[in-house]
Amino acid sequence: MALTGRAALLALLGTLAVLFAPQPAPAVAGVALLLLALIAVDLLLAAGVRQLRFTRSGDRLIRLGESATVELIVENPGPRRARGLLRDAWPPSAGTAPRRLPLDVPAGERRRLITTLTPTRRGDREAVTVTVRTLGPLGIAARQGSHRVPWSVRVLPPFLSRKHLPAKLSRLRELEGQHPSMVRGQGTEFDSLREYVAGDDVRSIDWRATARRNDVVVRTWRPERDRRVLIVLDTGRTSAGRVGTAPVPLAGEMPGTGGLYGGAAVVPGWPRLDWSMDAALLLAALAARAGDRVDFLAYDRAVRAWVSGASRTELLSSLVNTMAPLEAELVEADSAGMVAAILARAKRRSLVVVLTDLNAASLEEGLLPMLPQLSARHLVLLAAVSDPQVAAMAAGRGTPELVYNAAAAEHQNAGRRRITARLRRQGVEVVDAAPEQIAPALADAYLALKAAGRL
Amino acid sequence: MSLAAAPGTGSTSASPTAAGLWRGGRGILLVALIVVVGAVIGVLLGGSGGGRPLDPADTSPSGGRALAQLLRAHGVQVTRVTSVAEAEAAGSRDRTLLLSDTSFLSEKEAGRLGAIPADLLVVGVQPYQELITPGVRTTKKVRARSREPRCELRAATGAGSAYLGGSSLTAPSGATGCYPADGRPTLVSYPDEGRTITVAGDGQFMSNLRLAEDGNAALAMNLAGARPSLVWLVAPETAPQATGEQGLYDLIPGGVRWAVVQLAVVVLLLALWRGRRLGPVVAERLPVVVRAAETVEGRGRLYRARRARDRAAAALRTSFVDRVTPRLGLPSAAGPDAKVEAIAERTGQARPHVGAALYGPPPADEAGLVALAAYLDMLERQVKES
Repeated sequence: MALTGRAALLALLGTLAVLFAPQPAPAVAGVALLLLALIAVDLLLAAGVRQLRFTRSGDRLIRLGESATVELIVENPGPRRARGLLRDAWPPSAGTAPRRLPLDVPAGERRRLITTLTPTRRGDREAVTVTVRTLGPLGIAARQGSHRVPWSVRVLPPFLSRKHLPAKLSRLRELEGQHPSMVRGQGTEFDSLREYVAGDDVRSIDWRATARRNDVVVRTWRPERDRRVLIVLDTGRTSAGRVGTAPVPLAGEMPGTGGLYGGAAVVPGWPRLDWSMDAALLLAALAARAGDRVDFLAYDRAVRAWVSGASRTELLSSLVNTMAPLEAELVEADSAGMVAAILARAKRRSLVVVLTDLNAASLEEGLLPMLPQLSARHLVLLAAVSDPQVAAMAAGRGTPELVYNAAAAEHQNAGRRRITARLRRQGVEVVDAAPEQIAPALADAYLALKAAGRL
Repeated sequence: MSLAAAPGTGSTSASPTAAGLWRGGRGILLVALIVVVGAVIGVLLGGSGGGRPLDPADTSPSGGRALAQLLRAHGVQVTRVTSVAEAEAAGSRDRTLLLSDTSFLSEKEAGRLGAIPADLLVVGVQPYQELITPGVRTTKKVRARSREPRCELRAATGAGSAYLGGSSLTAPSGATGCYPADGRPTLVSYPDEGRTITVAGDGQFMSNLRLAEDGNAALAMNLAGARPSLVWLVAPETAPQATGEQGLYDLIPGGVRWAVVQLAVVVLLLALWRGRRLGPVVAERLPVVVRAAETVEGRGRLYRARRARDRAAAALRTSFVDRVTPRLGLPSAAGPDAKVEAIAERTGQARPHVGAALYGPPPADEAGLVALAAYLDMLERQVKES
């Protein structure tokens, strides 16, 4: 049960009665009894909460940054009109609006209530409870109860870098030769023979076939297809660090609190993991369009996610679905385990794209000793998100404090350069770019490898 | 996870039912019931707890019934009074007035008490001690225990050791001080305008509990039974009704006081109204929020805190050399001299200057470090522009 402000107001009026009553002590008791009686009557006449029936429908999948609408149908099979308040409780980061809804369902009817969710971070959001407070006819007291009406909304990564996709696809088409230049070059493989038409490169005439066919025949070429790309996402502790500015407003923060850092202070940005996912999605979209087969592995100390053998049309949706609930684990990634998992899954030569951080200390101890095993069988590309904040600090001059910070930033940059040089010496491709640039930079690196025929 | 899950249909009530509440709460109710019943039985069996100290009608350990009985057995007329007016009127001419607790008296009443023409026996420290027995002051608290009389007072020497203490006293001139504690008496007796005034620092020797010990009974009899009549003033059972003097509280009409009670009810209802949550608090596991640059900032602060100019300068120089060497067309393995030579040539700066900036000793102070950073920036700009 619950009381309303009217009960307190009635008691306040009772104070006046007590003040002017000839016998105040019995008046207090009388007012209390009257109030109790009114509350009891109101409670008895309020619609029952337990008997209400709920049904949900609405969105189940949305991208981060979008809003989902979830409908709640309230059915009142009881004999009395259910009037009052309803709260559809979701976790705070689901961004529920409105937080409480007015409810008015006549006996035997049903009403549709709409809640809008604007989630502030990735993952699954589960509805918690639906709490209903039905007022009595006097509006003094209310019955209250909760129902569990399960529903979950999966918030997918936003794939912001899809804006780069058209540009990268046109680069890919240049490679594929869908426009007229049918030139043989590196990164191409034999496709088929066809009759010579004026304008073809005479160097591509296949003389042996020409001799057999009594007609001039040229070979056509196309870029390599059906190569394998394995995208490995490191979900260890280094992927939890936040860099850049969050492209989706309020990601990782509570709405309406002005941010965890009090608004004006430094905004914590977006986790490296999310930037890496964005880059991975662009690469996967591009590689799938280029005819390569894309697998995906997320690993820290165990396999967190594994997508393999998805068809080209299904690839992106199954990737975003797999990525949605991934969170950075606050443990040091197990590089040996990661390499073993990769070797166990990628039997044929693949392009292994490892999205991690160029952290000198953890790479030197972890991945670097294991790399020869990996690069012996696969082509390894290591992509890392750099921190614009560190770049800004490195440029600091003027006061001792800024120069000390600049020195610390340069110390880290030197570590990154050193580890990058060592990786390159081992034949590993390295992409190190700022958060907003990592996705196109990775796509460019992939296209360059493809053009060079190194897949 | 399957995405095409069936649309949510079922809803289950999560509120406890009355039967569930009864099942869950009956254990607690049973325990509460046992506690209440136990407490009631204890109170009923224990009788009236907590006596009224040194009351001639009280039989508890702290009461004074035993002494009153003894006095009556020895022919002393004991009159129990509860107000100053009664004390003035009671008893015969030749009487002793015994005061044990006067904390219920007003200042005026205490003054009247001191003026009653009778022998005065004051046990324990009183709030208006200076009005009742002028000249006797309490000095410091001492522990009550069995003490020797060590004085010439007949009542004391006849009784021997007694349970005294409480507070040590200063006596006016002509007084006899007995039962000393740390050199000061805890019982003082002196004549005053034809009557005898006796003050004891503590009255426990007269209580039912202590009366049988030591010479307590004898001392109490000697002091309280010196005259044929004893007027024993004790605190009344109920608070005295204000007579004549009315406080602000008494002037408030009864309706207002009950209205305040009613207002408390209003506040209670308001609290119930605002305090009832619509549904449970929802908890959520949130990811950590940690900026990746925090480690770098921490290292910067550490440099500053330890004044690590050498390390800071080394980091700045290394990164400068790393950036500039490719622009000079030198291999990264080139020696320091070759680098300094090339940079000096490109920028037109003096060789020793460049050498000191790149490979010299670390800056002597923070201003030097700031200057070094600025100089390296200048060199880099000139290399880029040349």
